[in-house]
Amino acid sequence: MSTLSAHLLDEIKALPARYPQPRSAVMPALDLAQEELGYLTPEAMTEVATALNLDAGYVEGVATFYTLFHLEPIGKHRFYMCTNLSCTLRGAGEIVEHLRGVIGVKEPGEVSSDGLFSYEEVECMGACEYAPMARVDHRYRYDLTPEKIDQLVAERKSSSSPLSPTLSPEGERGKPKPKRVSRKKSG
Amino acid sequence: MAERRGTVGGPVLTEWFGKPDLHTLDVYRSLGGYSAMQKVVTSMTAQQVIDEVKTSGLRGRGGADFPTAMKWSFVPKDHPGPKYIVVNADESEPGSAKDRYLMENSPHMLVEGAAIASFAIGGHHAWIYIRGEYDLPFEMLRDAIAEAHAKGYLGDHPFGTDYPLDVRLYRGHGAYICGEETALLESLEGKRAQPRSRPPFPALKGAWGMPTAVNNVETLSTVPWIMRNGGAEYAKRGTEKAKGTRMVTVSGDIQRPGNYEIEIGITYRDIIEGLAGGALPGRQLKVFWPGGSSAKVLPASMLDTSTDLDGLKALGTMGGSGGIIVMDDSHCVVKAAARLLRFYAFESCGKCTPCRVGGNWAVRTYERILANEGSQLELGILERVSEGLQNGRCLCGLGDAAGWVIESTYRHFRDEYEDHALRHTCNVGKALAHA
Repeated sequence: MSTLSAHLLDEIKALPARYPQPRSAVMPALDLAQEELGYLTPEAMTEVATALNLDAGYVEGVATFYTLFHLEPIGKHRFYMCTNLSCTLRGAGEIVEHLRGVIGVKEPGEVSSDGLFSYEEVECMGACEYAPMARVDHRYRYDLTPEKIDQLVAERKSSSSPLSPTLSPEGERGKPKPKRVSRKKSG
Repeated sequence: MAERRGTVGGPVLTEWFGKPDLHTLDVYRSLGGYSAMQKVVTSMTAQQVIDEVKTSGLRGRGGADFPTAMKWSFVPKDHPGPKYIVVNADESEPGSAKDRYLMENSPHMLVEGAAIASFAIGGHHAWIYIRGEYDLPFEMLRDAIAEAHAKGYLGDHPFGTDYPLDVRLYRGHGAYICGEETALLESLEGKRAQPRSRPPFPALKGAWGMPTAVNNVETLSTVPWIMRNGGAEYAKRGTEKAKGTRMVTVSGDIQRPGNYEIEIGITYRDIIEGLAGGALPGRQLKVFWPGGSSAKVLPASMLDTSTDLDGLKALGTMGGSGGIIVMDDSHCVVKAAARLLRFYAFESCGKCTPCRVGGNWAVRTYERILANEGSQLELGILERVSEGLQNGRCLCGLGDAAGWVIESTYRHFRDEYEDHALRHTCNVGKALAHA
């Protein structure tokens, strides 16, 4: 009995054909595995390796290099809090501290007792004009205040709806979704 | 003070920004989008495209400032196998948000530019390597590419020709080092993103071992405009040597943070005090990073510095990726530098020793200084580590950038360093909670 579902392993086996060389499939494959399990277990990484004809140690080596792969359980809803300079200058420290209190955790990576929330302190996410900002469930949240954090957490506590799924490799699965565009006029 | 420019000739990249639904193919096309690509694939040779871009004087906007036409011309014309355009959409430089802004507003502009660039190097495939956190730009590019395929602009017969062109997406997964082009190529190949030794350069041996030109989002987004309006028209903007316009992101202690398209050659005062509204009420600007956190800082007394790229180089700093971070007198330079060193140490890929060891050494030294355990010894360590990170001792620019943060903040704000290290006080405003 494998950790990853049979249909997911089939999907992973079909990935290498999309790239000029099969090895490029390793990150999209790990992405799919993480989407299914929430985080990457050693067994899952081994199964990805087998499906792609790669060494398990190699796959783990890739997974451990990139910050968006999680090797430990994380909350159902993840708050990636930018704490780099532009956000810190505009109060990211206070925002993170507030979030910790609201979800009841002491440090990055710790999962709240209800399993719903965890947070990470991350480096610049390229939305400095909206500092302080965060990435929450695959969407950027801008100009954060303690009140906005309260609201984001409350929405997620009251909602039983599933997360927006992790974006598939190249997004080639499924149909384009309606867009929500955040524009900011220049100058 | 340099003459105020900035409006001469009008915007290039943001020309159509603000038009409703610009991100859809129909609107983009109705404004003139894809006419450049159509002209290129139906009536021009690859060399003519390169020549037009050469006339424009366009240089890479990812930070390296390398002439785009020259980069394309390095890709061998007679190579028998595949050749690739790889788009660096891994924007991760602290302070830089302009690539995200361009992709979210006009994804087709990048798709068109990437297709034209592929044609120019005699290739058929462009790969957009986009950072994993950019969910919305990813979805918009995915939809834009699908629309372009549906219209027959991409595919086996773009605009009825027999020159196949395709643009593909590849998501990164969180690693600043992927902004370095050879690390990005390693990542695209499914490896840990560690920079390659060069030579061979990507132009000869790039993605999957094939000749490759790696271009930044903004650079390629500029190309359709150049092909529509002509390189000479683009070259009317900017300075003698640094042509055109560019995007800047202004962030930090500033009234109106935002993305702005500027004509190269205006001053930082024009941007920071003009476009972005200057300091917050009751505060004084103290220091700014002119081109991302990796550019050496300039004190506020140098606000009249021109954005001319060669002028910045002469000052020992750079326009970099256009991320202008502004800090005022309520924040401490030492704490800001300490925060940035934590970033560079964390993002070091670990492949070369000076960067792997030096970054962490600097972090520990800053920690001692900020814990009031510093002395002349710590300042000496910072100076030595800073030097050890620079001038070609590292495999890529990450180490240099870490060194520049230390060196430039220490040079311009020695008093703040000495307050902390020697007198164990901070005489500046409130503390940075995350320093």
